[in-house]
Amino acid sequence: MADGVGGGRRREPLALKDIVLMVVLGVVFGFLYWALVQAWNGLAVLMGPAGDLAQHVLLGGWLLVAPIAIAIIRRPGVGVIAEVLASVVEVVFLGSPVGPLLLVAALLQGLGSEIPFALGRYRRFGWARFAVSGLLGATLVFAWSAFRFGWFGQDVLVLRLVLQAASGVVLGGLLAKVVVDALHRTGVLDGFAIGRAAAAERPVVQRRAG
Amino acid sequence: MLAEGGAAGAVLQVTGLEAVLDGGAGVGPVDLRLAPGEQVLVLGPSGAGKSTLLRCLHGAVPHAVPARVSGEVVVAGRAVAEHGVAALADVVGVLAQDPETGVCLSDVADEVAFPLENLGTPPAAIGPAVAAALGAAGAAHLAGRRTDALSGGELQRVALAAAVVARPRLLLLDEPTSLLDADGVAAVRAALAAARESTGAACVLVEHRLDALAGDAGVAGLPGRWVVLSADGRVTHDGPAAQVARDAGPELLARGCWLPEDVELAAALGGAVAGPGLRDRVLALASTAPPARGAGCDGVTGPRREVLLAARGLAVGRGPRGRRGRRGPAPEPVLRGVDLELRAGEVVALVGANGAGKSTLLTSLAGLLPPLAGTVAGVRPGLVVQNPEHQLAGRTVAAEVAVGLPPGPATDARVAAALARFGLAGLADRDPHRLSGGEQRRLSLAAMLVHDRPVLLADEPTFGLDRHGTAAVLGVLADEARAGRAVLLTCHDLRAVASVADRVLVIADGRLVADVDPLGLVRDPRLLDAARLRPSRLLRWLAVAVADAGRLRDALAALDARGGFAARDPGAARATPAAADPGVAPVAGEPGVAPAAGAPGAALAAGPAEVPAP
Amino acid sequence: MTPLEARNPTVKLLLLVAVSLVTLALLDPATLVLLYLLGLAAARWGAGVGPRRLLLAQVPFWSFGVGVLLVNALSRPGEALVAGGPFRVTHEGLVVGAALALRGLVIGVGTVAFLASTPPRDLMVSLTRHARLSPRYAYALLAGHRMLAGLPRQWATIRAAQRVRAPLGRDGRPRDGWRAWARSAFALLVASIRASERVALALESRGLSAGPRSVWRPVPLGAGDAALAGGVVGVLALVLAAGAVLAPAGGWW
Ligand SMILES: Nc1ncnc2c1ncn2[C@@H]1O[C@H](COP(=O)(O)OP(=O)(O)OP(=O)(O)O)[C@@H](O)[C@H]1O
Ligand SMILES: Nc1ncnc2c1ncn2[C@@H]1O[C@H](COP(=O)(O)OP(=O)(O)OP(=O)(O)O)[C@@H](O)[C@H]1O
Ligand SMILES: [Mg+2]
Ligand SMILES: [Mg+2]
Repeated sequence: MADGVGGGRRREPLALKDIVLMVVLGVVFGFLYWALVQAWNGLAVLMGPAGDLAQHVLLGGWLLVAPIAIAIIRRPGVGVIAEVLASVVEVVFLGSPVGPLLLVAALLQGLGSEIPFALGRYRRFGWARFAVSGLLGATLVFAWSAFRFGWFGQDVLVLRLVLQAASGVVLGGLLAKVVVDALHRTGVLDGFAIGRAAAAERPVVQRRAG
Repeated sequence: MLAEGGAAGAVLQVTGLEAVLDGGAGVGPVDLRLAPGEQVLVLGPSGAGKSTLLRCLHGAVPHAVPARVSGEVVVAGRAVAEHGVAALADVVGVLAQDPETGVCLSDVADEVAFPLENLGTPPAAIGPAVAAALGAAGAAHLAGRRTDALSGGELQRVALAAAVVARPRLLLLDEPTSLLDADGVAAVRAALAAARESTGAACVLVEHRLDALAGDAGVAGLPGRWVVLSADGRVTHDGPAAQVARDAGPELLARGCWLPEDVELAAALGGAVAGPGLRDRVLALASTAPPARGAGCDGVTGPRREVLLAARGLAVGRGPRGRRGRRGPAPEPVLRGVDLELRAGEVVALVGANGAGKSTLLTSLAGLLPPLAGTVAGVRPGLVVQNPEHQLAGRTVAAEVAVGLPPGPATDARVAAALARFGLAGLADRDPHRLSGGEQRRLSLAAMLVHDRPVLLADEPTFGLDRHGTAAVLGVLADEARAGRAVLLTCHDLRAVASVADRVLVIADGRLVADVDPLGLVRDPRLLDAARLRPSRLLRWLAVAVADAGRLRDALAALDARGGFAARDPGAARATPAAADPGVAPVAGEPGVAPAAGAPGAALAAGPAEVPAP
Repeated sequence: MTPLEARNPTVKLLLLVAVSLVTLALLDPATLVLLYLLGLAAARWGAGVGPRRLLLAQVPFWSFGVGVLLVNALSRPGEALVAGGPFRVTHEGLVVGAALALRGLVIGVGTVAFLASTPPRDLMVSLTRHARLSPRYAYALLAGHRMLAGLPRQWATIRAAQRVRAPLGRDGRPRDGWRAWARSAFALLVASIRASERVALALESRGLSAGPRSVWRPVPLGAGDAALAGGVVGVLALVLAAGAVLAPAGGWW
């Protein structure tokens, strides 16, 4: 990951603030997921073999970081970088047993999530775009998982695909927009591209008197 | 780029600097020239733009925080507009307010070595420099530690070492001592002095707790030059400390600035700063101060009053990482054997060193952390946590106050009343995250008090507020007690404790070591030491002169009233705006954007009194 | 210092990736079992992971593995070994399931060995020196590591702050639904984003940029690492060869 990845030659490298934001998104969602899984574990054990399938329903949650980062930072490559950083957090800091192969999944997820936004030249952020982003992220990574876990040739292949795609749309796409909109309202994003885009649409603020 | 002519010798040359942030807040125009080694203190009420000014000086505004900036800042011959923040790191050292985010890496030595590595210092030279910087910051013993196991004071020392390790020519310090106990403040003070001595750096300092930082040296322990910002970010004074203090003392007090005690006393009682006879005037004030609370409703000691919350043999603590129900070593209690009672109508202060367990105890008393031993019995208390942002759960200010109440017209009426009481009615539809720190603090109080819990636990309720904000919050707490509730607050500011508390609980060494009245605390050096509190000169004088804790409080209230507002009684502040306000009360352009200051409710209008620059 | 701790993190990471990729090409349970045993040995004696910790670290892989095995055994078409009602266990399903479960175990134990012998700081420093990772990304990640350490405490504070106003349930404790959880999660996110801006500013004001920098305590790369790489690749080749030669024509099963 060298500076300026995806930034194009003429563009400036990503600001440090944006990089740290992506890391922090990975850290917080990684932590929340961990906290959720702690609560979930008992349930998964109870479900036994169905646990393998039940995981698909939550898969979309892993896709969240990319669309959120893209919508906030609005630069090419951000989706992929954000997913890769999140996977590093996942493996190296949280000790995820998936190991380095998670990076491959992250690359694919990021790529899939990013495509719809790239097509909109990072200027359009409607609901449909988020939904497609989640869908693409989920299906790209599905191909890889199917290869890795030998799902091809299983009876439940189609069921798996449908579950993961639906989860991708809802948790990995639409939920991302809900989160971004809520964050935007709080004003914490004012210093990032999303906040500046909103500021550019308003008339120039005059300095207010005391 | 070299600055021309006479500026060549200056470390910092600011010309016509004006910055307007996205929200419309701004600072400037500022003109400032700092010779090598010169020290400046920046004063101003909360939200005046002190932090923004510091950020302009090392390029964070506009390189990292978007803003429209005009004018020029030149540091050691480099124009800040053309250099990024990182490119100035060899000449500017920065120490920010929040120790938690001022230290970025997990290992103390790595953290201090980091700036040198970034500057390309040869590795062989880094080790000795790190050791020297840690030594100068009084943190040599921390060298091998991990940063996630350090207290706030220790973190701040490490951050200071990292700020000075590259021997910068300009040091920018933004409230380096907030939230620290007296030992932490003393450590920062010593570290600052050592760092300035060894590097000869010029220094721009923003600080609220001036007396704590100055130590026994009084005003002489602070930078010799003061720059004062008005509430809207304009420079109203710039000059030698003594002159600014003499010319503008009363006005600054009325604006809500924190001032060194000597200056405040001179402004409130007349006479020269630290001049002779000050002590006598304080003592005279102590003997003539009118009783603040009417007889009968006062309850310094009230054995007859009902006990609302009682803890017996309480031991509190958290497991490593807060895990429960796991095997492994049982969590070591932070506090044990705590017996305490909170009675209706009293304000109790809880004091102790950083990390003594104050917040943990409050969480346990609130029933949110199961005790490791012992019991808590009584009504369900309310809790206001240290960082108001952690409590926010609603989308708008009004919704925030309504959280946890059943929906309905009755609730709406209560919410409206609470908003009006805390001067938040004009902000009802705003996102609570967009409020200033002072506004958020009032909101968190409003949102808790609307639940009408008989006991209120408040964790560091005055942290980061200016004088008006502090007075407003203390006033609310006193009001609650007068209305028959019990209040328990934690605080590192002894004067605030003395001016509001009926009783003080001292925790040290994992135990509750004392339950005294404020006067008893101020008079007992061993207790003060255990609580890591240092009384200022004013408190020491008063402690000798007054007869009991009630008189101590009366004297402090009288002093506050002389200073332009009353800490204990919002009603009094409401009644005296004319006395407090030499200028015209500001007409805020937009309701939400008025600076965070002032007493609750109508008293607000008297708070951020704008004073035209002379 | 354990033998693996003394080795260069970038080299270890590359080897772990190599092992992971090789297992992806394997569908032979016997070879995978052998690799798993070697991985356990590496974790136990190479990285010094205590037996108890090693065992605990295996639990999630085993439970995941059992799930994978069952799903495959039940859902894969092929020669039925056992059939009862709607369920039938196939031979192919069992073999493939076992291999897939074992893949996870091999990669998992390798990751445990890697993480137990590699402090994050050393990994990042080594990656900037030996894999040309930009220091801005490396130190942003390390700052993230420090923030992560503080999150459990912050989470506890936020939960407490929000539960205090929650209405009480029938058991007398604050009611705690998923909405409350989501609100706390959002508060944590907002606070962390604010913190991220301050951390980025702190890093930048200490001179972090993409330019050249020196390293105070560098992570060495030397002959020992070459030996480790050679050794691992050699053993891997041996195991694969043995698996191919010894395997009976129709597979082990
Ligand atoms: N990043 C930002 N974007 C927009 N407005 C900001 C930003 N940071 C601060 N402000 C606003 O600018 C004004 C000045 O803030 P600043 O933090 O400089 O005040 P301050 O004098 O340091 O106050 P305090 O004593 O409370 O720290 C405030 O009204 C604040 O709300
Ligand atoms: N959630 C937590 N998990 C683990 N340890 C904690 C947690 N919260 C606090 N601690 C530890 O418990 C001890 C007491 O902390 P606490 O926050 O109660 O101190 P305090 O008296 O409030 O200090 P301060 O004056 O700095 O606010 C400290 O050593 C702290 O490191
Ligand atoms: Mg400030
Ligand atoms: Mg505390």
